[in-house]
Amino acid sequence: MSDLERLWDDLPVGRAPVDDILRAGRKKGRTPRRRPTRPLFTAGVLTAVGGAFLAGIIVAQPPGSEPEASRPGGVSDASPAAFHGELQPVESCDELLDHYVDQALEIVGPHGWELGGYWPAGDVIAGALPAAPSAEMDALTRQSNSYESAKVPSTSTSVNSDTGTNVQEQGVDEPDVVKTDGDLLVRIQDATLTTYDVTGKETVELSQIRLDGFEDGEILLSGDTVVALGNDGSRSRNRGYGWYANTGPTTTRVVSVDLSDPGAPQVGDTVDLDTSLVTARQHGSSIRLVTAAGLPELDFVQPTGRRGMRTAREANERVVRETTLADWIPSMSVDGGEPTQLADCKDMAIPRQDIGLDTMNVVGFEADDPADVHAIGLAGNASLAYESPDHLYLAASPFAAWGECFDICPMVTDRSANSGTTMVFDFEVTGTEATYVGSGEVEGSVADRWAMDEYDGVLRLALGPTQATGNFNSVVTLERRGDELVEIGRVDKLGVGEQIESVRWFDALAIVVTFRQVDPLYAIDLSDQDDPRLMGHLEIPGFSEYLHPLGERRLVGIGQAPSGKGGWGAQAGLFDVTDLTSPRRIAVLSYGPGTEARAGADPRQFTWLPKERTLLTVISDGWRTRSGWVSVVTLDHGRLTNRMVEADYGNDVEQIRTVPLPDGRVVLVTGEDVQFFDL
Amino acid sequence: MDDEAEYAEWARDNWGTLVRAAVFLGCTLPEAEDLAQTTLVRCYTAWEKVSNADNREAYVYRMLRNCLRDSKRRRWWAERPTERVPDSASPDRTTHVDTADAVHRAMEGLSRINREVVVLRYFVQLTEQQTADVLDVPTGTVKSRLSRALAQLAADDHLADLTEGSTS
Repeated sequence: MSDLERLWDDLPVGRAPVDDILRAGRKKGRTPRRRPTRPLFTAGVLTAVGGAFLAGIIVAQPPGSEPEASRPGGVSDASPAAFHGELQPVESCDELLDHYVDQALEIVGPHGWELGGYWPAGDVIAGALPAAPSAEMDALTRQSNSYESAKVPSTSTSVNSDTGTNVQEQGVDEPDVVKTDGDLLVRIQDATLTTYDVTGKETVELSQIRLDGFEDGEILLSGDTVVALGNDGSRSRNRGYGWYANTGPTTTRVVSVDLSDPGAPQVGDTVDLDTSLVTARQHGSSIRLVTAAGLPELDFVQPTGRRGMRTAREANERVVRETTLADWIPSMSVDGGEPTQLADCKDMAIPRQDIGLDTMNVVGFEADDPADVHAIGLAGNASLAYESPDHLYLAASPFAAWGECFDICPMVTDRSANSGTTMVFDFEVTGTEATYVGSGEVEGSVADRWAMDEYDGVLRLALGPTQATGNFNSVVTLERRGDELVEIGRVDKLGVGEQIESVRWFDALAIVVTFRQVDPLYAIDLSDQDDPRLMGHLEIPGFSEYLHPLGERRLVGIGQAPSGKGGWGAQAGLFDVTDLTSPRRIAVLSYGPGTEARAGADPRQFTWLPKERTLLTVISDGWRTRSGWVSVVTLDHGRLTNRMVEADYGNDVEQIRTVPLPDGRVVLVTGEDVQFFDL
Repeated sequence: MDDEAEYAEWARDNWGTLVRAAVFLGCTLPEAEDLAQTTLVRCYTAWEKVSNADNREAYVYRMLRNCLRDSKRRRWWAERPTERVPDSASPDRTTHVDTADAVHRAMEGLSRINREVVVLRYFVQLTEQQTADVLDVPTGTVKSRLSRALAQLAADDHLADLTEGSTS
């Protein structure tokens, strides 16, 4: 131990960069609007006029004209990827390469990519840092990873998708490690794909195959076709200097498997993309991937005793100047064939604003033909993706961590040079195609996909604080006018000094939970989207990380709360939302200190069974017993009855799923087993 | 601003311990400096809250820990530290990379939670109560974790061959 003490003393910690800290602190904290960002209100009014004008034209179209003619922004004649406004089209591949090189020169230094230090040593000026959370940083947050009609503000039930997955948006399916069509159940564990017959009294394994060179697999199911999404195991070697070194997967592998004969699955095309998967969505048989390539791994030098900082920097700048488009735009290869550029230069856009360097692609294909892709992209970083039934939104947002911070972090959620605003790019999706239709900029940060929602053509965002806002959260509504998303309404001051923990959207209602010491739950009336209003709020101890609507009157919040003795533990709360002006918590279940409700991090570990009035949610005890349980919670006259069923241990707890079948039975999937679950 | 002068002094006094703690929690030296800086900037923005906090130390280290977790880096305890020691920021520091590396190798045998307890309680010298506040666990847990961690460290034979290289 004394050796360690000596090491403690030996560490050359240097002097505190007090001036830098004070300068940065002043920028961040005391002057909420240090940079004159575009005054949004004015912009809104101006574009509203333009929008009204455009709308007039659209109305004047003769009936029966091309459906595209009514598309906002009047992009009817455009090719699928026609870019305009905030996403500029590129004239040539050379222009695109120049853009990449120019941007890259700003972030290259003696050690390679220099993204980590807020105030890098020597001659790098802080202002030269990228203006948005970088590709590197997003690679770290990339992991992870409903409503029905009525124009009155109320909640409505949400049930698992047709393939048995608890999803954000009804009708838009999400990948998972297990899928079912009611008769057949398919699961993937890394590279092993297993099929089961679930029609009988017991589950019966039908087949098992291994997909070669496949890791981190998840699947989608479309008819008889399974689409497996994973990677080939490559990891980034980007070392860079400092903080945000990329350690995530750098490739995406898509394998289509034909299950016409579930006893003998046929592996179809294997498609490899050298870019990492952000997310995937399925509409019918169409599948859409959103990918982010990150910064390329180049042959950078490092300063050594002989080679000084300056020489090393110049050498690295040369390396950047010598890059080709192949370094920046991902390639695609089919069945190990010759790689081709994933998206043509003309299908790539350059963001007008500096949103940080990266390459995002939107790649659509039919489930049974992943080799035939429709791919567009943008040369920037906008890696928060939300997909409604007919739109895909990509957001470039200041980094904000939900759930991890306590008091101060919400004020300072991002990199020093950040403007504190979020850019949202809107793409219309039809089949496998995605077409850019417009974009908007709002002050504040979007923390994740649950903070975004679309209803009736209006995009609704739950925004956290940045240095461009006051120290509170907001709900903002945006409408497409021309090619701009224009703010039409907002509610401010939700949770002053607090941060958003969870959001759930309904047609005419938003439920927002924030947290600092207690857990306020806010109900926001969106029945008039031009004029959203705070209806009521409720404060309770702890916070909900995941909200699930059970119907029009009840909402469940899964989260954490103090569990006596100073420790925190998992908690499930039942809320009465019949009267939204005064939501009430009518029952609560505490799971004891040290437990964790996993639905907060992965909603796929939650299932609501409306007929049985029972919810299934996975609870773990990460430190002591490393056990995972399925908590079977039954609602009965406002009371919660709980039964804990021990299901798995250690890392396998991540794999626990409770998959509802159409006949009302539930399949419990664990690391070892796939079995019917006794309710 | 008086506040600011006071803050500057406080930051100067606490810099070394913050950086050391970050290294002991798994950072390389440049990363540790970034982290300390981020933490101090965050403290600045809420300095009134910090200086009014009953328990300033616990508050700051809690924030250091949050900032560390915010970075969402999976590197800390997942890989062997020897693979991730980057080149030092300047040539005159190369010898000190070995010190951080030696720390990481020595701490390798500890779980994350035990490591946090050792760093906060033993090295940063927070009180039991402060450590409990930072980690959000009862003080009894701090005690039991600490004794387990110290026993693990004592049994670790990495230390023997490291110390020779660490003097400079």
